[in-house]
Amino acid sequence: MGNRVAIVGIGQTYHKSARKDVNQQEMVGEAVRAALADAQMKAKDVEAVFTSNMETFEGLFLPDHLMADEIAAYMKPGLKVATGGTSGASVVEEGFHFVASGLFDTALVIGFEKQDTGDTTAAITAAVTPVWGKGVATGAIGEFAKQALTYMERSGAKEEHAAMVRLKADKGACRNPYAHLKLGLKSIKEVLDSGYLVWPLRLLDFCPQSCGACALILASESRAKKITKKPVWIADVVTVHQEPFRAGSFGDPTGTEEYSQDIAAERLYKRNGITNPMKDICMAEIYEPSNWEEMSHYEHYHFCEKGEGWKLVEKGITEMEGAFPVNPSGGVIATNPIGGTPTIRVAEAALQVRGDAGEHQVTRDVHTAVATALGGPNWTVMTLLRRSL
Amino acid sequence: MTTEKTAEKKPEYLKVEIARPRSYKWSSGKYLGKLYKEALEKKKLVTNRCPKCKQLMWPPMAVCGRCNVATGEDWVEMSDTGTVVQYTYLVFPLWDPHYGDRLANPYPTATIKLDNGVFLVHFLEEKDPEKLKKVKRVQAVWKEEGRGRGLADILCFRTIEE
Repeated sequence: MGNRVAIVGIGQTYHKSARKDVNQQEMVGEAVRAALADAQMKAKDVEAVFTSNMETFEGLFLPDHLMADEIAAYMKPGLKVATGGTSGASVVEEGFHFVASGLFDTALVIGFEKQDTGDTTAAITAAVTPVWGKGVATGAIGEFAKQALTYMERSGAKEEHAAMVRLKADKGACRNPYAHLKLGLKSIKEVLDSGYLVWPLRLLDFCPQSCGACALILASESRAKKITKKPVWIADVVTVHQEPFRAGSFGDPTGTEEYSQDIAAERLYKRNGITNPMKDICMAEIYEPSNWEEMSHYEHYHFCEKGEGWKLVEKGITEMEGAFPVNPSGGVIATNPIGGTPTIRVAEAALQVRGDAGEHQVTRDVHTAVATALGGPNWTVMTLLRRSL
Repeated sequence: MTTEKTAEKKPEYLKVEIARPRSYKWSSGKYLGKLYKEALEKKKLVTNRCPKCKQLMWPPMAVCGRCNVATGEDWVEMSDTGTVVQYTYLVFPLWDPHYGDRLANPYPTATIKLDNGVFLVHFLEEKDPEKLKKVKRVQAVWKEEGRGRGLADILCFRTIEE
């Protein structure tokens, strides 16, 4: 292992479907200034800047070139990553690797997407390879619809369980000042009454397209201790990329394929002495594009046995006040600026470890948290955070 | 953390619209090109086979990553009949920005396992949600005109009784 790395500054923008008042670089600058203010640092204190964005989704070429001034990157080293849905976690991993290597003492990592610039679903539909059904694919929604159907058939979960996950997310989002959709949902019926997007996925079952950005400042151990009294240590990051399921991108109706989540979880837990994830980890911020996917992920991240994810929901274990809170921020289903979405997972998990999540701080004490990311097809990044190493 | 409320300052801004068609050329490559050519000229689906593990490559390609060998020209004609393993249908209308087609309700798509074991995603001809539940065996319906788009040369998959 390399040098120890801590998160010392956290900043987000608020999120909306459209931010017509700012251009992309101005929007990202808001998150950067918030992170610098949180760390009480100045732009000159940042040695390198790494960004994450799926530029094909917005149709804007090389966005990072336009924003060097706004993001404290003027005349500094840095890279941009685009690994699909996982981009915002890959950029945290990238910063982590560079600081752990000793090349830099401080790094700024930023995830962002301004989706009022382009149509993401149209971009995914158009940019998919012709062999895998250009025009047949209905963006990410169609794939997650099939995932939902597969999960229903395999686990016996009912639509009511998915609705309960949606209510839990909305409760968190309503308490989170940075969340996008704050719907004030009150009943399961409200969720089940929303119209279908792609059967059996309903409007309220799926994540929105958001504009927003999230920035984190990472620092080496010696610098971190000078910058803040509450560093959040990045204990480990695991990435598992694989080819698409032959039978589907996210859910496997044949029951014969390996899930990258399972492999990532096994690797992360083994490397970090975690034998009982539900006990050794205090909470999780997971990447759930749909409420159905959240229940499936409980199983593939080994929070429970296979086929039992919906039981955690039924028992309220993953509620904000529960024994193992998941997505108290409201999650992806409430807020989804794609390149920034996984960065927000890490940021929100870090806020929980610091005890600084405010209205959506979970009831139990959080000394260890995990943040996950999901990318198409079936890619996984897991980030483990600790209060002390 | 603090949030800057730029929106509240209500700055003036211009909306710039750029409406211009963009042409798109896509090179199929040597191996995929064969699939396109056979579909265009003979209404057939073909792929190549790994000389080592003998698995069908899908789509046809130059290298088998599992065995790390060049695949070569061992071409196999595939069945155009198969079994539906998962399906869904679009309710919310979408459009296809590449071909300009509007994708409207119900627009059923399915993951189909062809009889030689290869999976592909395609449309179903059946559009009744109740009848969709029972669709199992299907066969490709080839387009008579306008072929040259690879798998899109198949119009849809039609239910067959066996």
